[in-house]
Amino acid sequence: MKKPTIVAIDDEIDFIDMLEDYFKLRGYEINVASKAAQGIELINNKKPDIVILDLKMPGINGEEFLGLLKSKQPKTKVVFVSAFDDAGKTKARILNAGAYAYMDKPLNSLKELEKVINKAFKG
Amino acid sequence: MNIYSIPYIIGGAISLFLGSFVAMKNRTSATNRIFFLLCSLFSIWLLSYAIAYSTSSDKIAMICAGITCTAVIFVGTVLYHFIVNFLGLERERIILYFVYLITFILGYFFITTDYFLAGVYKYFWGYFSKAGKFHPYYLVFQTLVLVRAYYLVYITLKNKKAELSSLKQIQIKYFLAAAVLLLPSMIDYVPKYGVEIYPFGFVFILFFLSVIAYAIVRHQLMEIEIIIKKTLVFAGLLASVFAMLLLPTFIIQEYLTRGATFGGRVLGLAISGIIIILAMRKIENFLINVTDRYLFQKKYDYKELLKTFTSEVLTVLDLDKLVRLTVDKLSDIIKITSCGVLLLDKEKNQYELTASQGIDNRNIVLGMDNTLATFLNRTRAYLSVKHQGKDSRLPARIIEDMNKLKLELAIPLIVHDEMIGLLTLGKKKSDEDYTQDDMDILLPLSRTLAIAISNAEMFEELGKTQAEAAQQEKMAVIGTLSAGINHEICNPLGIARGQCEAFLLNIKDGLYKNKSAEELLEKAQKIMEKVMHETDRATAITKRLSSFAKPSRGVISNDININNEIDEVLALVGYELKLDKINIVKEIDRDLPFISADKKQLQEVFFNLIRNAAQAIEEKGKITIRAEEKDDKINIEIEDTGHGISEDKIGQIFNPFYTTKDPGKGMGLGLFIVRQVVERNRGRISARSRVNGGTTFILEFPVAKRLEGVKG
Repeated sequence: MKKPTIVAIDDEIDFIDMLEDYFKLRGYEINVASKAAQGIELINNKKPDIVILDLKMPGINGEEFLGLLKSKQPKTKVVFVSAFDDAGKTKARILNAGAYAYMDKPLNSLKELEKVINKAFKG
Repeated sequence: MNIYSIPYIIGGAISLFLGSFVAMKNRTSATNRIFFLLCSLFSIWLLSYAIAYSTSSDKIAMICAGITCTAVIFVGTVLYHFIVNFLGLERERIILYFVYLITFILGYFFITTDYFLAGVYKYFWGYFSKAGKFHPYYLVFQTLVLVRAYYLVYITLKNKKAELSSLKQIQIKYFLAAAVLLLPSMIDYVPKYGVEIYPFGFVFILFFLSVIAYAIVRHQLMEIEIIIKKTLVFAGLLASVFAMLLLPTFIIQEYLTRGATFGGRVLGLAISGIIIILAMRKIENFLINVTDRYLFQKKYDYKELLKTFTSEVLTVLDLDKLVRLTVDKLSDIIKITSCGVLLLDKEKNQYELTASQGIDNRNIVLGMDNTLATFLNRTRAYLSVKHQGKDSRLPARIIEDMNKLKLELAIPLIVHDEMIGLLTLGKKKSDEDYTQDDMDILLPLSRTLAIAISNAEMFEELGKTQAEAAQQEKMAVIGTLSAGINHEICNPLGIARGQCEAFLLNIKDGLYKNKSAEELLEKAQKIMEKVMHETDRATAITKRLSSFAKPSRGVISNDININNEIDEVLALVGYELKLDKINIVKEIDRDLPFISADKKQLQEVFFNLIRNAAQAIEEKGKITIRAEEKDDKINIEIEDTGHGISEDKIGQIFNPFYTTKDPGKGMGLGLFIVRQVVERNRGRISARSRVNGGTTFILEFPVAKRLEGVKG
């Protein structure tokens, strides 16, 4: 079974390191970036199936980024993982704008994230 | 004039002045009039002898002796009369009239016969009366009258003590003491029997008068304090003039000219005149000083009391300190055994002893239904144990309360028609009473004290309101911080959880199958280290947040490092700022000296200023924080690159409820509170700004005093 290619962008290095370990070990091709610019470059180069993105991080606004990505690479699915919480308002707006999923930090489980990614890749 | 007559002239003058003034002060009072009579008799006695000593004529001496003796006969009787009147002993009057009758008869025989007054002796000091053969019988009569008089005083003090106000008791004691001091003046009878002893009995008359004068001054014996003072100064002055007039004349007469030549007298008078003109003013000042110092000593204390209170006590805004200082200074200056301030607790509706000295029970509480409190609240006048005579006995419960508070005097503290407290004063250490003079200073002082206490209470209340508002503002701000806080707490927790989950899943999914036990152990070790690191991170931020959220306890420390406190605040807001594309630049000198401040309050100040700076920046921007030491002060600048504040508004930014923010973004109390907090920490804050050029807040705190003598 083919596995999706992933790019994860988050300013929390420990977090993306953890994702990298987890997914690599399970045979996914995953690239991570802790800086916005670096992440954009990765997306341009790797043309990933899935992008895991933090909503709020220095130098990048997740919402704008989503719009940009949707216009350039419409096939790429975006999964937001964020601690940002404003009573679900942003979540609803982002899902409306075409994000595949919005998951709260801390993640309930990595397994769940993996399931969401696979579902996104298949669907 | 004879040198031996001078003391008699002085004594006579003082006596006459004292008597006249007492009589003039209250002409309708029989006691005062009798006292005048007594003083006049002393004067006649002394002045006639002065003439007898100076004259060289037997005839004049005889007339003088007659006058003196008649005056002396009446002294005992009038003294007795004075006592009867002073004590208000109506039933004694019949005996009194009888004694007067005998005295008049004796007087008649003294003048018309030689049974009592047989003639005059010529002693070294001048002529002196000679006792007749019946004179000893007169002495017995005189003694009986005096014994009766003193017995009356003694018995009244002993039996009617409960009926007499304590002020009256003290007055009587003084009077008794004075009267006993008068007795040795009977020594003057000795020369009448041919023994050549200079009759120095006048000294005891002066003692008597001095004690009476003292009692008048200190114990309101006759309420003529100021007159006494003037009398004494005047009498002293008169005596000095006499002395100066006579001494040179006497010296010149006796030693230089060997006889009373006309030229000698003129020379003597001229010298005296010059000395008097030169020294008069100085002597007067000296006498006023001496009288003030020894007789009217409290006048000095009052000046000090007033000075201390206006400059040191009443200006204090800290309520506790104010009442403590009041008690300390009052006890110290008036020299009283105990002192206390009770303040109204409006919630509990009772008066509580807030500060005291010399009161054993420090937890005294007077409810609104307490008799003492009710009494003062109703009368709105001071209450003195001593001034309540037998006509208005105080209820036993008031006395009980007063004893509990060890007070002699209770003064209500009244502001705006409300009794906000009580000032209580105990006995004076000197055992003296509170006089009208005391009250004249204590009452205005209490009124001012009441206002000062009321101000301090309001200031305290304002401080509490401010602290509450600051806390509310802070909590509101923490709400807006949630994004950053969430990130800071949830991220590490998520990572810690993820690390553990991944390890477990990897084992479950068989991904570690080909790894050795050692490799797995190493893997597990790494994961645990990471988990610990992440939980530490989360704990640290939680601690910071909860510490910041707690209200300040108002503890001033002397070792506050500005740099640390700024870092502490940046740890809370830093991430939020980064998200907002705000760059933070710190230009803080290393090794800045400490300042004295409340750590938490200082953090609140930095927090508010940094957050304000961030809010002023719309897109990207920079906040620069500088700190440096300059002239024993630490200057801190927080500069933003925001939109700035126009010149007409910069003056208002520290006003309460002034805000440029959108509704919901703050109550506008921020900078107002910041300034209050800064000032409470002995700092100053100002701001400068330019529209579109950013705003800079400037803080200035004095450097904490370095601990001297501490090495290393």
